[in-house]
Amino acid sequence: MSEKPRKRYDMNSPEARAVVDEIVHGTFMKEGTMAAFPTCFPGASTPIPADESHITALAVSGDGMIYGGTSGRAAHLFVGIFHGVTGIVFDRGAIEGADHCAAVCCGKTRFAACVNGAGGGRVITGELQGLPFDLIQEWGFGRPPLRDLGPVNGERIVHAVADGGGSIVGITTGALFTVDVDTGTIAIVGPVAGAGRIAVGSRGRVFGQDGPGDLWRYDTASRTITRHALKLPEGVWDKSPMTWARDNRSGLLYTADGQGRLFALDEDRGFSPVLGLTALAPVGPMAVTHDGRVFGFCGSEMARMFCYNPAARAVSDLGVAVSVLERRRYGYLFGDAVVGRDGQIVFGEDDDLGHLWLYFPRIERLKD
Amino acid sequence: MAGKLKRRDFLKGGALAAGTWLALPGMAGKLGTGEHTGADGEPRPYRNSWYPFTGHPDADTCWSLSTGPDGRIYAAACAESVPGGVVKVARYNEEKDTLDYLFALDEMVEDPSDSGRATQCKIHYSFAPSMADGVLYMATHLSGPPIDQPAYSPWRSWHDPERCFRGSALLAFDTRKDEVLWWDTMIPKEGCRCLLHDEERHLLYALSYPRDHFIIYDTRTRARRDAGRIGSINAQALFLDRKHRVWTTDDYGHLVRYDPETDRLERSPFVLPHNPQFQTGWHSVFYDVAAAPDGESVFAVTWIAHPRLMRVWPNEGPWPRVEDLGPATQDRDSSIPVDTFIDHCGGLVFAGDGQLYYVASRWRDPVYQPKLESGHPREGVVWRLNPKTLERTEVAILEHPTHPAQYVSRGAVDHNGNLFFGVVGTKPVGIFQVHLPASRRKENAHLPIRIWG
Repeated sequence: MSEKPRKRYDMNSPEARAVVDEIVHGTFMKEGTMAAFPTCFPGASTPIPADESHITALAVSGDGMIYGGTSGRAAHLFVGIFHGVTGIVFDRGAIEGADHCAAVCCGKTRFAACVNGAGGGRVITGELQGLPFDLIQEWGFGRPPLRDLGPVNGERIVHAVADGGGSIVGITTGALFTVDVDTGTIAIVGPVAGAGRIAVGSRGRVFGQDGPGDLWRYDTASRTITRHALKLPEGVWDKSPMTWARDNRSGLLYTADGQGRLFALDEDRGFSPVLGLTALAPVGPMAVTHDGRVFGFCGSEMARMFCYNPAARAVSDLGVAVSVLERRRYGYLFGDAVVGRDGQIVFGEDDDLGHLWLYFPRIERLKD
Repeated sequence: MAGKLKRRDFLKGGALAAGTWLALPGMAGKLGTGEHTGADGEPRPYRNSWYPFTGHPDADTCWSLSTGPDGRIYAAACAESVPGGVVKVARYNEEKDTLDYLFALDEMVEDPSDSGRATQCKIHYSFAPSMADGVLYMATHLSGPPIDQPAYSPWRSWHDPERCFRGSALLAFDTRKDEVLWWDTMIPKEGCRCLLHDEERHLLYALSYPRDHFIIYDTRTRARRDAGRIGSINAQALFLDRKHRVWTTDDYGHLVRYDPETDRLERSPFVLPHNPQFQTGWHSVFYDVAAAPDGESVFAVTWIAHPRLMRVWPNEGPWPRVEDLGPATQDRDSSIPVDTFIDHCGGLVFAGDGQLYYVASRWRDPVYQPKLESGHPREGVVWRLNPKTLERTEVAILEHPTHPAQYVSRGAVDHNGNLFFGVVGTKPVGIFQVHLPASRRKENAHLPIRIWG
């Protein structure tokens, strides 16, 4: 016996075909276009092995290249190039003894990756990639050596961000550290509650979660940590790891609580009221494109994409990710997001055989 | 919608089909004993009989047909295009020459058809025998809509507890006592596309849908483990080699194997045979696989237009030797992506004569196939392939009384040595028996038994 009797749907009803089409197709990508790009040079190299290709960290360099790191049976570092006559994800190499990449950050000449393994967290750096020759005609790739800066403090690295001045700021499970990317110097600054992601605020200070109700703040100029510097707005903050997206034009930060309530943080004005509610929780990776719209994923196991449009002050559900360009693939789990050169969002797929997913948002129609 | 077939439209009987079916006399048992003549005017020696699913009028597909551990033929009478449809398990009764209906699966696993969730509508290549105890394992698949919806999308309803498929139900049926011993939800929220039983290790292997994960289920502890995602397109078959490695394929036509020694899914760098004119290997996933009697190789066919036959030696080399046996179906206009339900090959089965039998579609085409012997626009042709010489011989055409029967899901051989094929197509669906000539039959022809669906 079912709980409530239901009447069998009349398949001959006039609206049946439209309803079926909506169920089948309306589930996916309600606006914009996704293209899933494999972790290789398609037709010229093989992708990173499926169980080593969970993309968990992304960063974008000044020249628009996408740097990333994977997790799984082994951690790889890679660079994706999609402008000019390119179209490649180049595996810069697997990191021996590492099975997780917590963060990748770009400096002016080098990138840095924070990886974890049995011995805790380490920092790896490498030279930024130069543009190859025409990847329709002829090419050649060498694998420049990576530099292992060694362990931070024996603990696992949770996350790290670039401070914009050639250093990165990171957290382990119990401490805040900095790395000078060029010199390779690692310095422990002090204890913090190392949980969730961290972010650079509108005034260049770094924020991270400090227990269930607060944020700590790190001032990069004075190298001082202020514990419990800022109170989190009312919400559920102990159910899922902290996530952030930064509007690089204004410095505004977006975050979400464990129930999918979106908030914005401005260093001068503090937290906004609730901006909207995502369809599912927890909220995962998100990024802010050039016009201020926030795109991200929410939900576990099979995430759905959402958009927060600050102009409309509304959250919309964009459905399940699917790519029918470059690769035909469903996208279920995503680990990180950055904004590409032209405002496209690049999502790292945190799944077996992870791809880079390039999302081209819908261009809004001008109003008459 | 006139004139345009969408995937599931093909599975539905229109008013004419339903009317024709109802008008036919004596549908409870076999029908349409085929005595067609061949091209030479001589009677075909491979007589065939048709057994519609009269015991389950909602049935619109037969995705699973296998030999049970008792040597009898089991078939899934699936109902996936009917809101609230459920699968019933049928068995061929050789004394009465008819089908017995054993049970409606929803009733066995406490997941009623009117729950409002996606239903236990089918068993999809997921019968797997256990010889030691006479158990036939079966696992359900999804796609049938909730009773009050016209369609179901597992992506759409994944997070909806009211609509989401409860999960693939694994059921252990004792063929000696004719009773369900136990059931379990093997894959929550997802369907089971195909199933394999490694009886020696008490492990069932499955591919989940829609997420295409490789699932391992221990029948002793009844514990499930997820070994990871393969891709977006389910392969439709798994097979086992001598080292207890489980083989399947990925989206791009690479062999994928699960090695219990390394507990890892590995992918071959090589692409399986495909049509080089208009295919890349994408979607060249296994549709059906039959083990050669010598146990050293398998014959396989792919799930894409112009399906490719091949022979794979899984026990050889770091990656198997694969022999391309060419297309299983006719040439056609490659500028049209042909309907998946027209250009098809399935039902691979080795009979007691040591020959591989399979059913490939053939259809009328003004350029490549102007005439068909059956008079239908499409027909299912039973082929025999000699594994030593690779010679192929057309031996029969499946004789559905009212419709073409070109899409065969699975084939099996019973303990008497006759062949059975499950049909997907226009209602009424059901199964065929192809009676082999006496010289090609033998007792216990089903042994060694096929251990995957």
